[in-house]
Amino acid sequence: MTKRKILIIDDEPHFTRMVKFNLEETGEYEVAVENEASHGVEAAMDYNPDVILLDVIMPGMEGPDVIFQLKNTESVKHIPVIFLTATVTKDEVEANHGTIAGYSFLAKPTSLTELIDCIERKTQPQY
Amino acid sequence: MNLKKFLRILVIENNEIDCKILKGMLSESSVGTFQLDFTDSLHKAFEYLQKHNFDVVLLDLNLPDCKGLETLKRVNDEFPDIAIVINTGAYEDDLGLKAVSHGAQDYLIKGKYTSYALSKALYYAVERKRVEEELKSAYTRLKEAQSQLIQIEKMNVIGGLASGVAHEVKNPLATILYGIEYLTQKIQTEDEKIGLTLKTMKESAQKANNIVKDLLDFAHSSKLDRKPENLNDIIEKSLQLTKVLLDKHRVQAIKQFGVIPSISVDANRIEQVIVDLILNAAYVMPEGGALVFRTLTRKLTKNYNDVIFYIDKKFSVGDSIVLVEIEDTGPGIPAEIKDKIFDPFFTTRRASGGVGLGLSVAKNIIQSHGGEIMLENRKEGGARVKICLKV
Repeated sequence: MTKRKILIIDDEPHFTRMVKFNLEETGEYEVAVENEASHGVEAAMDYNPDVILLDVIMPGMEGPDVIFQLKNTESVKHIPVIFLTATVTKDEVEANHGTIAGYSFLAKPTSLTELIDCIERKTQPQY
Repeated sequence: MNLKKFLRILVIENNEIDCKILKGMLSESSVGTFQLDFTDSLHKAFEYLQKHNFDVVLLDLNLPDCKGLETLKRVNDEFPDIAIVINTGAYEDDLGLKAVSHGAQDYLIKGKYTSYALSKALYYAVERKRVEEELKSAYTRLKEAQSQLIQIEKMNVIGGLASGVAHEVKNPLATILYGIEYLTQKIQTEDEKIGLTLKTMKESAQKANNIVKDLLDFAHSSKLDRKPENLNDIIEKSLQLTKVLLDKHRVQAIKQFGVIPSISVDANRIEQVIVDLILNAAYVMPEGGALVFRTLTRKLTKNYNDVIFYIDKKFSVGDSIVLVEIEDTGPGIPAEIKDKIFDPFFTTRRASGGVGLGLSVAKNIIQSHGGEIMLENRKEGGARVKICLKV
């Protein structure tokens, strides 16, 4: 089975490196990192990932702006997005059953198991 | 002042001749109508005042059971709501001033006034007392509001700091925790101490995360007295409170109220927000203008215009909301301050005494209701504030 491709858009290089190491260590994923939010859409177009992990608060351009551009770009609008952010708390996410406005949210810090479960749900074939 | 009003007067006077003079003067007065009761000592006066209602006391300072300013002080302490006019034979300039500063509404010298002057003095005294009481009650309300505001401001500053710290700390914590997970998988060793070290690091990072969580919980715990209220009523009341200022600035308030459901809010807090927004609007429209208040209710959609409601907030698609929009015809929000406008201590009015807490407090209040407040410029010019609260 081919590896699932994950793009992580987050301005914290330390964090993105650890996510990359962990996900790739499972042998299931190939991870690309983009630390500049304004390059997020371009990165998605180049890499064509199966899932995008997106931070909310980033300098220059915030997560909602990135998602707005993604959804308005024909070639990438179908790619599922998971917000991975410290701006929400676990309680808030749980109160909303993991989604806010139809988007999946994970509150940093989240365990690797939770992250992988969420990615798996997003990459299941939709019937 | 209504000089047609019937005044009830208690004359506290032990000199019979003086009583007769007063009776004569007031019965023939062309200024108003009076009902007079007479009593000749302070203790009898207290009994009278307890049993009956009077508008004003005409008080001699030389009574058998009390003398001098002490007389005034005792009446004032015992019956702080009643107007007092001193009627005395003792003519000393500074005694008159002292009496007024100790709570008398006027100081008359026997034999030095006409019927007309006496009647006027009594009416003026009642009016002075009424205004004084109004001022006192306004002052009390102001003090209460101020202490509430200080409390909210404190919570707001703590809340702002806590949110900032939480975000800044959670990111490195997430990195550390993922680092530990990675090392735990990669390091396969017989050395128990390495395993224990990784476990200890993980638990410590999780402990730090719990402290951040507690801090956030504390910061968001300001108490609200919530009851079902209609926001149209709250806006109406806020407009009444600010009417004088709006009239002065020639700002016309236009109400476009929709039929909206009652929602559970702390009316005083929401009123505080609306009043603050009105004051801001009046300030940016010194030459006059219009201030539109629009209320409506609708369901949130998955439309991108509504996405702003979902990030970091408690709203979901399909939520019923009440939306309050306040639009002014001022210059709009300058681009360079748009990001800072809700920050604590940010103000464009430092020179005129602005502290810069109004909008940050407003945001704190709306967010503590689980709502959101946003500012934007209108295409037609001027600014628009949107307040969104869940039904």
